[in-house]
Amino acid sequence: MNRARTPWFRREMSAGRFALVMNLPTLLCLGLVLAYPVGYAAYLSVHRVGLGQLRRGEFAFTGWENYGRVLEDPLFWVAIKNTLIFTVITVGSEIVLAVAIALLINQAGIWTSRITRFLILLPYAIPPICNGLIWSFLYSFQFGFLNRILFTAGLIDDPVNWAGNPDTALYAVTVPYIWRTLPFAIILVHAALQGIPRELYEQAAIDGANAWHRFRQITWPMLQQIIAIILILRTAFAFAVFEEILAITQGGPGDATWVAAWYSYKITFAPPNNFGMGSASAFILTLMIAAIALVYLRLIYRRVTL
Amino acid sequence: MFKTTPTVKLMLHLANLMVIFFILLPVVAVFIGSIQSEKALQADTRRLLPLEFTLDNFTVILTKGEQKGRIFEQVTYLPDNIKNFYVAFANSTIVAISVTVLTLLFGSLSAYTLARLRYRWTLFLLQANIVARFVPVIVLMIPLYIVMRSVGQLNSLSGVIIAETGFLLPYAILILAPYFDTIPSELEEAARIDGCTRFTAFVRIVLPLATPALAACGVIMFIISWHELLIPLILNARPNFMTLPVVIASLVGDVHVFFNLMMAICLLALAPTVVLVALLQKYIVEGLSAGAVKG
Repeated sequence: MNRARTPWFRREMSAGRFALVMNLPTLLCLGLVLAYPVGYAAYLSVHRVGLGQLRRGEFAFTGWENYGRVLEDPLFWVAIKNTLIFTVITVGSEIVLAVAIALLINQAGIWTSRITRFLILLPYAIPPICNGLIWSFLYSFQFGFLNRILFTAGLIDDPVNWAGNPDTALYAVTVPYIWRTLPFAIILVHAALQGIPRELYEQAAIDGANAWHRFRQITWPMLQQIIAIILILRTAFAFAVFEEILAITQGGPGDATWVAAWYSYKITFAPPNNFGMGSASAFILTLMIAAIALVYLRLIYRRVTL
Repeated sequence: MFKTTPTVKLMLHLANLMVIFFILLPVVAVFIGSIQSEKALQADTRRLLPLEFTLDNFTVILTKGEQKGRIFEQVTYLPDNIKNFYVAFANSTIVAISVTVLTLLFGSLSAYTLARLRYRWTLFLLQANIVARFVPVIVLMIPLYIVMRSVGQLNSLSGVIIAETGFLLPYAILILAPYFDTIPSELEEAARIDGCTRFTAFVRIVLPLATPALAACGVIMFIISWHELLIPLILNARPNFMTLPVVIASLVGDVHVFFNLMMAICLLALAPTVVLVALLQKYIVEGLSAGAVKG
């Protein structure tokens, strides 16, 4: 082909330039909507930014003051403590339930397992905010659906205040979150289960291993990698839980369900709108999640070739 | 993995029933809640199924509060956001479709090159995408609010679309890249010998082969952007630009809205993605595992 007469879009680029051009939109998006805001959040976190400053457009540099105020705020530590409890409960239950349910739907010859397999993805379709509201209807002290079920079944005599009691509220909000995010974990474990060669089980059965031994010797070692991945991904996302808290408890009763993302949201977008402190607290949350992300990166690059 | 003796079989059936009960519990609750009247819900707080059912909750939402029906007859105040259902539904649709198209477009361009062409910087970009997937929305929203405010993009759909596209693009790339990696490169090499450029080989040979991955990624992107709350909640405060999740979030704590009406609007908001999940289950399963494991 005559290079000079070929229009530019038909001309062959070098592989390096081709890769760069193909990635331009992505680089632009990542830079504009991810890298720049994260950097800007860091900038805001060391400046005094309130509504007045926003109107004037002048932010005074304050150094570590915002961080200091966040770290001295008892509510922040309550939020961190609640986030940790929330994360440990949700991620722990999700992994146990995901392995159990994945084994269950992998079981041949049980017709109810087919129904479960068909329904398993349903929670993935529910918008988190709707999920939260549905559970606040379930949990409602006076009118709640859960109490109605328990009354009808004769299990309780007086209504239970599931989400309105400071002692149980945090546990109450873990259940909807587990419900919504469990399909993801089950699907990953189920995919890993299907990758285990059947011959291993047949051989073990010939050797006389019982179900528990087969699980310990074959299934569990083959699942470890995927469980580590689920553990990391779910931990990082549970750290930033927001919708269910907004819909069910709004942080209450008292400060029983204030979590880290809710803290940043309220500090920033509820009066007195302290954007600086909000950024500082969101940045602390981001650093914690970034540490988790780096562990994930190391984990998947140890074996993945892509 | 178990020997299926009758006892074991029975226990497995029971376990399945418990799981099915757990999965269906909120779905049954939203159905039953949405077809009741406030009065029926309040009259007997212990009854599972009340004596009377009504579709008035849906009527009042779908007629923008004009036809109140029997159960809202005496109601003088309805939140404006309830009346804005169609606008919110349209906004949600526009945002979700735009975000899906943009993430698929940018994501496939990027994922293909990241999977095919190995340079130090492409590997770095892939890893940057993996880390970017972890960035919590809340840390983006504070600066994005200030930036969008200063460039006048608050209360606009395009602002939300830009923010969500940037936020979801890394995930789209992680879902697509492993799939492009499995397409044999001999096909493009053959096409290039026949005179295709790299780009036309990508468009004519690779993309058609990648349809299953594009479907998987597309449906996941649509679902996530349909569900997204924080980004539109913070960027769009005016009713005309609210998406469905924002409208629903605005009802939280409104004393004039009772559970029956909330459940009805929730049911209308979750129906589209439930249909998608039911129809495209296979693709979603593939996309979810691809995006988590092989990235």
